[in-house]
Amino acid sequence: MEPLLTFAELASLMSSRAGVAIDAAELERRSDSAFTELGLDSLGLLGIVGELENRHGSVPSGAEMCRTPREFVELVNQSMPAGA
Amino acid sequence: MDSPTKRRTALTGMGVVAPNGVGADAFWKATKEGVSVLDPISREGCEHLPLKVAGEIRSFDPASVIEGRYLVQTDRFTHLAMAAADLALEDARLDTADGSPFAVGVVTATGSGGGEFGQHELQRLWGQGPRFVGPYQSIAWFYAASTGQISIRGGFKGPCGVVASDEAGGLDALAHARRGIRRGTDAMVVGAAEAPLAPYSIVCQLGYDELSRSADPARAYLPFSADACGFVPAEGGAMFVAEEESAARRRGAPVRAVVAGHGATFTGTAGWERSREGLARAVRTALEDAACAPEEVDVVFADALGVPEADRAEALAITDALGPHGSRVPVTAPKAGTGRAYCGTALLDTAAAVLAMEHGVVPPTPGVTDVCHDIALVTGLARTAELRTALVLSRGLMGSNSALVLRRGDAPT
Repeated sequence: MEPLLTFAELASLMSSRAGVAIDAAELERRSDSAFTELGLDSLGLLGIVGELENRHGSVPSGAEMCRTPREFVELVNQSMPAGA
Repeated sequence: MDSPTKRRTALTGMGVVAPNGVGADAFWKATKEGVSVLDPISREGCEHLPLKVAGEIRSFDPASVIEGRYLVQTDRFTHLAMAAADLALEDARLDTADGSPFAVGVVTATGSGGGEFGQHELQRLWGQGPRFVGPYQSIAWFYAASTGQISIRGGFKGPCGVVASDEAGGLDALAHARRGIRRGTDAMVVGAAEAPLAPYSIVCQLGYDELSRSADPARAYLPFSADACGFVPAEGGAMFVAEEESAARRRGAPVRAVVAGHGATFTGTAGWERSREGLARAVRTALEDAACAPEEVDVVFADALGVPEADRAEALAITDALGPHGSRVPVTAPKAGTGRAYCGTALLDTAAAVLAMEHGVVPPTPGVTDVCHDIALVTGLARTAELRTALVLSRGLMGSNSALVLRRGDAPT
């Protein structure tokens, strides 16, 4: 099954919603780094959660509290299988 | 530390982002030559509005000077302020990485905050629903946004503040920076820039009786003349690096001017004639603060609202405060060629005043030929003069009045 959120999609959202430019490969490589170290602040993550909610209807609670890209991608994908 | 009153505030860096030029050199060239850049508004969505003429900045590409995250997360008024702050820091050659981050503070003034960003998010709110409003709306529109983002971007952790005291707040911000330096801060990044030309922002201004409805750029803003019919709004502003004078000299930084005195009053909105007394009082307070006699004032940068009764009140205030010298001292209003960028206006006047003292040139008031008040308004061509002391005046539409006394710094090299 296709994951709902890939690192490439997250990288694209970081750029469009918060102006943080990072390529997908680098984001995946640094997926255990804190979002703040990657230049994404809490409002930026909130904006990404909002965008995913608008696309998919809902996002698991706590997503906006995730510290790292890996935590975020895993939480979103576990709770929201594609097509949900 | 010296006693607070001994800690004088020197301006060591200047950054200008104005309708008539980005960078102090371009700004001064156009200002000195009295070029008017007032023009029909070209912004999308403004075509049907009753405001026809403004001072737009058309030679500024924020993406070329500001990182992507700030482009997305902040409004145009903050982009302009950041660009001006960069220019000021570069001009001052202030090595901020070297010293304590707590030694540098930031203070800005703004009248309206981030209207363009706000409009975009409001369109999403009404077009798609509340879930489509981005979280950065919460900070991007805000009055304190430019101060906060300049502080974050530059790592300036000294005293930070924002002055929201109407248009004259531009001068009050310089006074606030001076207080910060008196209290022990080494340097302040200070100024104001505004971006009030988004359709939403313009609609917010349409209630001002003082706004010029003229569609003719050559006739829309003629302060102190019999044809005065209101003011033209503009975007832009200036930022400065202000430093404790002896600290600036120790590091070998040229002192471009000294902020010597300031006064502020409030006379409300019940008629422009009241600003006569308020402005005169602000001037007297500023002169006293600067230990400056009225005769020492070599040039006045007027508020020049372009509304007959406001112009009359200002002309009378100048002579009330300066006595007979008030009708002889050269008075100028370069803003007649750029429009009024709200809080940014007085900072552009401050920049022009510093440049005027450095070059020994009083720039003219663009477009004005006849003067119907008893002041020596400089029109036509710039005038050469030895300028040691400049007085900058500013009033706000809500009743604030401020005056700033600047003393010439080191001779330019």
